[in-house]
Amino acid sequence: MDVNSAYLSWEAAYRLQQGASLDLRTVPSAVGGNPETRRGIILAKSIPAKKYKIQTGETLFSAKQKCPDLIIVSPNYDLYRQCSEYLKRILTAYSPLIQQFSVDEFFLDFSGMEKLWGDPLSTAYQLKETIKEELGFTVNIGISSNKLLAKMGSELEKPDKVHTLFPEEIPTKMWPLPVEELFGVGRATSQKLRDRGIKTIGDLAQEDPTYLKRFLKSYGILLWNYANGRDNSPIIENKAIPIKGLGNSTTIPFDVDDRRTAQLVLLSLAETVGMRLRRNGFCAGLVSVSIKTSDFLYFSHQKKLYLPVDCTSAIHATACALLDELWHGQPLRHMGLRVSDLCASDFFQPSFFEQSLEKQKRIDKAIDSIRLKYGAGAVFRSAFLHSGLKPLSGGVIEFEEYPMMTSIL
Amino acid sequence: MKVYMRPIESIAWFTQDGIPHPLRYRIQTEDQTYKTVKISRIISRVEEKIAGNRMLIFRCEGEINGLLKIFELKYELSTCKWYLYKI
Ligand SMILES: [Mg+2]
Repeated sequence: MDVNSAYLSWEAAYRLQQGASLDLRTVPSAVGGNPETRRGIILAKSIPAKKYKIQTGETLFSAKQKCPDLIIVSPNYDLYRQCSEYLKRILTAYSPLIQQFSVDEFFLDFSGMEKLWGDPLSTAYQLKETIKEELGFTVNIGISSNKLLAKMGSELEKPDKVHTLFPEEIPTKMWPLPVEELFGVGRATSQKLRDRGIKTIGDLAQEDPTYLKRFLKSYGILLWNYANGRDNSPIIENKAIPIKGLGNSTTIPFDVDDRRTAQLVLLSLAETVGMRLRRNGFCAGLVSVSIKTSDFLYFSHQKKLYLPVDCTSAIHATACALLDELWHGQPLRHMGLRVSDLCASDFFQPSFFEQSLEKQKRIDKAIDSIRLKYGAGAVFRSAFLHSGLKPLSGGVIEFEEYPMMTSIL
Repeated sequence: MKVYMRPIESIAWFTQDGIPHPLRYRIQTEDQTYKTVKISRIISRVEEKIAGNRMLIFRCEGEINGLLKIFELKYELSTCKWYLYKI
């Protein structure tokens, strides 16, 4: 199941609920990234905006040139999380085995469930209507015998549709599509295929796999199997929404020009970033810091870690090191902290050469549970006393990057 | 009825099960004065979860400017805010 123009539909439904008279889905509109964190790119667009050839990932500037009347709204990650969670809640009634594949995509194992709900096709229609009525947005559902085909089925005609794509339907429904439409074919791969005259999924399916292996390595075999509708990946239940990275930033009420205050601001950001990481069960392998000076100049720097961390103090230490490399004392207005390269916090390769963070982990866990129970302000570091700074910055989820393109089912 | 969706001040009583029953609301008019409306009857109460945001919609009856009118109030659970939704 896939939400149609997810970010945009969610924003549109929410605005209607708040009394807006205009449905964003009916006009050329788009959700555009925060110009600071993602340099102002289109994250999602309405179907009328597609007619202007506006593409996900292009700059707001170029989108505005294609369509001067384009309505651009800022992303609201709290809302996306909320919609995603309610969607999952509805789905759990239909099957005990659900995999959340991205913020707006789910796999649902219907094996054996027909005894309870009836045949899959009519259940899918019922599910689609329930979501539309209760949550106010539309979805596409693809039905098949494996994840790859179900996913490809959900990508057929949009919006608000149910499609089957069973193995016997592959030649008519999937093979005529351009090769870029196949799951796992990105821009680089598509170029390599097109250079060799492989234009459709059907062309790829009928190609000799040993030939594909010569220029795409083992990935060629995987794609050849996909093109033939072959996939045996299991549905894996996951507890949290898969995310790629997260971050927070803050505009400081006064200009910061001393190192100690700048480090304190980073600490207040590290507190919230760390809490969000731990809540989602992740460790981060990459930390980046961004600053904006009072002259509105923007700088950023990032660092890869040898050992993925989720500890507030460890994130803060790295952030401070980055700040020293990045900053030469100009007055600062705005500071941001982001982490990515996430991995599960309960299973990763530890290192002999890094300090053990076991004790830190325990204290973070204790602080998190106190804050959860008694409120975010219940316990904070004494360094913030009389500093004029908030001990925790970034109450709303300001930035969260969800995987957009992946080839692993 | 027309969608209005203006924030209002209100008085409500809650049952033991947590169900609110609006009694009266007050809205600021253009000339900065308050106008109070007493709710004489709640006709229906439905919950909506649009975009995962829970709201209760009350269809009510009450006297406005000497006329018995039907209007709708909305209560947003996440913010505890009341709105005059439709009139
Ligand atoms: Mg989608």
